[in-house]
Amino acid sequence: MTGSSRAGAAIRGVATIVAFALIVFPILIVVVAAFSPNDYFQFPPPGFSLRWFAEFFGLENMRSAFALSVELALASATIATVLGTLAALFLARRRGAIGALLQSLFLAPLVFPTIILGVALLLLYKTIGMPVFAGLLLAHCVVGMPYGFRTVLASAQALDPALEEAGQSLGAGPLRTLFLVTLPLIWPGVLSGWLFAFIVSFGELNTALFLTGPGLTTLPIEIFSYLQFQGSQLVIAAASTVQIALIVILVAVIERVVGLARITRAR
Amino acid sequence: MTAKYGWFLLAPPLATVCVLFVVPVVYLFWVSLHAPSTSELYAASLTLHNYVDLLRDSFYLTIIGRTLGVAAVILGLCLVIGYPVAYFVAVLPPRRRMLALLLLLFPLMVSNVVRAYGWVALLERQGVVNTTLRDLRWIDAPLDLLYTPSAVVVALMTILLPYMVISIANTLAALDRRYEEAAQALGASPLRTFVHVTLPLSTPGIASGTLLVFLLTLSAYVTITLLGGPRSKLLVSMIYDSVTAFQWPRAAALAFVLLALALVFTALIVALLRPGRVQGTAR
Repeated sequence: MTGSSRAGAAIRGVATIVAFALIVFPILIVVVAAFSPNDYFQFPPPGFSLRWFAEFFGLENMRSAFALSVELALASATIATVLGTLAALFLARRRGAIGALLQSLFLAPLVFPTIILGVALLLLYKTIGMPVFAGLLLAHCVVGMPYGFRTVLASAQALDPALEEAGQSLGAGPLRTLFLVTLPLIWPGVLSGWLFAFIVSFGELNTALFLTGPGLTTLPIEIFSYLQFQGSQLVIAAASTVQIALIVILVAVIERVVGLARITRAR
Repeated sequence: MTAKYGWFLLAPPLATVCVLFVVPVVYLFWVSLHAPSTSELYAASLTLHNYVDLLRDSFYLTIIGRTLGVAAVILGLCLVIGYPVAYFVAVLPPRRRMLALLLLLFPLMVSNVVRAYGWVALLERQGVVNTTLRDLRWIDAPLDLLYTPSAVVVALMTILLPYMVISIANTLAALDRRYEEAAQALGASPLRTFVHVTLPLSTPGIASGTLLVFLLTLSAYVTITLLGGPRSKLLVSMIYDSVTAFQWPRAAALAFVLLALALVFTALIVALLRPGRVQGTAR
């Protein structure tokens, strides 16, 4: 920046180093601890071992929690993205009060305290007798939908309407235009929306806290209850590292397929 | 194009949001207006007692006060640390700025329970901080760092800090640099330029970062529980405890007290910072 003082630059530099250290270090510690050969975590680690990962996949509870989290994330991200895409296509070209109102309604779950949504859904489910898996799935859909909606809306608004009109004037019906013109043009938005919804579902805590049941627990909730009732053992570090690794892979996929710019702009 | 079959597009997502978001929240409010019952979810009679009891009980008032105090400290720290970081990130060349933003975004994608566990591993009695201090012979007995309000503040602050940095950095990066250049050309010192030009123009980012951090602090049950333990409970812990005790009307009323805090704070920030006013003139 042109005229900023040297003191200002020093403050910014120090704050940045401190902030990145505070943000990254706790995550790094977890990953390092997961490869520890000892029963207790020592820093710096005395060696390298995969025993805690073996332990993690050997524990029935952990394994099924991991499987459930992946299933839930796959299914809820898909449903949430389809619903978000429909809403985004509807609202992309709509102005006025009703459009604005609908848009804030679809984005509302992003800022609404999810803990309240969790209690509210639990009460509703109790009243109507909802099965645990379906209840969890629907909750994850609601939480993930705004992400699909937002990224697709951005893509759809950037789309030149003349392209759709051209499709229709050449005799394509609305559905053919949607599948042959619109979707191929907005698919990067659809895909990154899906990946965001997956990531959000895979780490979701505040609604799952209330909606998981005996034998049906997601990985984040399993990690949480293990920490609460059996203390911090290194198998938790391995479970956490599995969580982190899956997200690293997904971010790499987003980078490959749609580019980094879309990730940093998407929030 | 969409106009032709528009309502078929809208119906599924709108139905989902109504049935799974609007209806349950309205139902929760309805439950909060009923007396508790031992056999049913709630008793038939309408009452305001759940709210009156909460607001008369000094125990809950203390918890609400502590919640607001913790949120205020976290918010203050996020602003003080986050603003210079955002500035640093905003003036980087585009490619490096993108990498910095990615480095800030990645932690937000990792589940909060993992990030909270990282802090537990650092702060517990056998944790990294204590063993390092002992190895350096600075301490003899391990310090009780975990299960304190400070542990909650530090951990939650670092967990939420990226939201603040990203919000402010995006506003600063979009800001027209000529405003600052003009101020300096007219003789303003760097500090004056910052206070009278840069800071006011970045209020939209400050407002959205502040709102995100405050709202997420209110519902961060897992972090608060893992780092605060049973002694440093906040409002959200009371909601969870009421649910596990099957006190549905009380849980519902507490949830709406939390929602009211969120709404009042949002209204306050919008009224004080008026982020919309800046956006109209800065671009």
